[in-house]
Amino acid sequence: MEEKFLNILYLYPDMLELYGDYGNIQVLKYRLEKRGFKVNIASYSIGDEEPNFKDFDIIFAGGGADQEQSILSEDLLKYKNKIKEAIDDGVFFLLICGAYQLFGKYYKGVDGNIIPGLDIFPYYTESISDRKKRCIGNIVLNVNLNDKETKVIGFENHGGQTYDIDTPFGTVLFGNGNKFGDSVEGFFLKNVIATYLHGPLLSKNPELTDYIIKYSLDRKYNENTILKPLDDSFENLCREQLLNRFLNSNSPS
Amino acid sequence: MTNNAIGYVLKTADKKVVSNIEGNNMETGILSTLIKNCTLTGKIKADFLVFEVDEGYIPVVFQDFPLDTLVILDFFRDQLDRNGEVETLILKINEFLKTYNNNLILNSDDPNVSRLGKANPDNKNIYYFSVDRYKYATKEQKEAGEGKFCPFCKTRLEYEYYQYSHIGKFKCPNCDYGNNPIYKLATNVDLNSRTFDVDNITYKIRFNSIYNIYNLTAVIACTSLYNIDTDIVKNALSKFVLNNGRLEEVNIKGVPTIINLAKNPTGSNVSLRILNEDDDEKELLFVLNDNIADGFDVSWIWDIDFSNLNNVSRIITSGKRAYDIAIRIKTSGFDANKIEPYLNLHDAVQNLYKTNIKKYIIANYTALQPTRKELKL
Repeated sequence: MEEKFLNILYLYPDMLELYGDYGNIQVLKYRLEKRGFKVNIASYSIGDEEPNFKDFDIIFAGGGADQEQSILSEDLLKYKNKIKEAIDDGVFFLLICGAYQLFGKYYKGVDGNIIPGLDIFPYYTESISDRKKRCIGNIVLNVNLNDKETKVIGFENHGGQTYDIDTPFGTVLFGNGNKFGDSVEGFFLKNVIATYLHGPLLSKNPELTDYIIKYSLDRKYNENTILKPLDDSFENLCREQLLNRFLNSNSPS
Repeated sequence: MTNNAIGYVLKTADKKVVSNIEGNNMETGILSTLIKNCTLTGKIKADFLVFEVDEGYIPVVFQDFPLDTLVILDFFRDQLDRNGEVETLILKINEFLKTYNNNLILNSDDPNVSRLGKANPDNKNIYYFSVDRYKYATKEQKEAGEGKFCPFCKTRLEYEYYQYSHIGKFKCPNCDYGNNPIYKLATNVDLNSRTFDVDNITYKIRFNSIYNIYNLTAVIACTSLYNIDTDIVKNALSKFVLNNGRLEEVNIKGVPTIINLAKNPTGSNVSLRILNEDDDEKELLFVLNDNIADGFDVSWIWDIDFSNLNNVSRIITSGKRAYDIAIRIKTSGFDANKIEPYLNLHDAVQNLYKTNIKKYIIANYTALQPTRKELKL
């Protein structure tokens, strides 16, 4: 039997790489390889040859510093139509923090400067004038994955406040969300997760990781993939400990 | 470390020094150091005040004390969640430096530090230090780092080589940023013999990491501005050690143990570099907390390079985030059956010393002293 595989594209790895977000790709790779699937990871950054977005099963982009966002917005906008086609085609997009913002209409910086987004999704982001004010801290969401509720644990760190979201990633159980004190977080379509959650996101959320993996395998091989269970004892202990700490106490940490 | 070394050199030169050597580097820590050292009428008798200052507090501290030299070593994504992003922090320091006219000692090999030399074009007291290419320098960047673009014209920086992380010989191909006059240059760095040269003088030191060569070159630059005799500097640096868990080498129950503080990926990667350069069989204890002083965000552990550990037979994790670090190490490919997480530090240390295999211990900020205490140090 031919070895099954997934192709992952990492966008701007040298610029959107704050907060260990690359760990998300490492977790995907780990959980795929443990089950005998092969993983090919390609990257694209400024100056590289244009990638064929539709050739990939999962496309990932993370968060970066403000300064680097504006440099890459200009580059990313060149591929607007191709990226839109890939999304319509069903390619899975995992977008964290800065990348989340860049797929919306625009990002308005602290000095009032506007960084145009891809305008593929209808939301927009505006930062608060006070640089010191950021939504920072541990965060827990309730997320619905294929009609199954699960809790997602991460860490948020963003000054930007994101508005006009109809289909959020999850409801906030602990932390801020899209804005200070918001009830919802992120943006969610069947094949798009855009969120502020670092951690990295997938490191403590194996069910979410497996949702992405199953979706991508089902789509590529046109079948109902049954994923072999893995030894998640560290992940389970970690989740139990942190959920207990965040949801059952009044302490801010 | 650098703070302590400057203080140590000055003391060796018979100067009276008041310094926050315990590393309490925020405003309250500095104030308490002063209170401990002042007379009842509030006078401090000392030749030198030497402070390690938290990056975020530089403007505050300089407002209160007219200090005459500022040494800046590097910027890493240390405690990003407290400081906001590194860039925000640098802009804040840059703003302060626009009106600062005293001595400014800068690491020329960190693009984010070196740029601060242009904050105030009228300041004639800017001194750059640098370290010449060392044996383990690489063409490609090995560990995550900051500052990939020219801060002045936004062009991608070109590196001749990386010493570690984003520290190395860089220049901007567009505006020539990176060409600084070097005040003190370390050459002939030899980590095995623990020696390096500055101005044709060979310094023998007690440390074996490139990171500390940078720190000690800064010490040489700083003490040189105060005309401390180079023989005294040489003598002081040959004896200077840290007994506070910063590359501390000890014996616990007859088992050789090396303890190092690691507040960020760079510190951890430096520790792992030293571990990997040692071929002996060893066991690692990693203690990770997420208290306020550590920063609540522990995602930086994913920027640590745990792949291809050299002859590590077991890893124990502990601290409030024992499971997070266990997951991180597992995902890097290290056999999960050889990883033992214990939330309780006492249990972790008990289990660590069940064998007499050599130990490496890495602990983050608030984890370090409890770990040393558990080791009865």
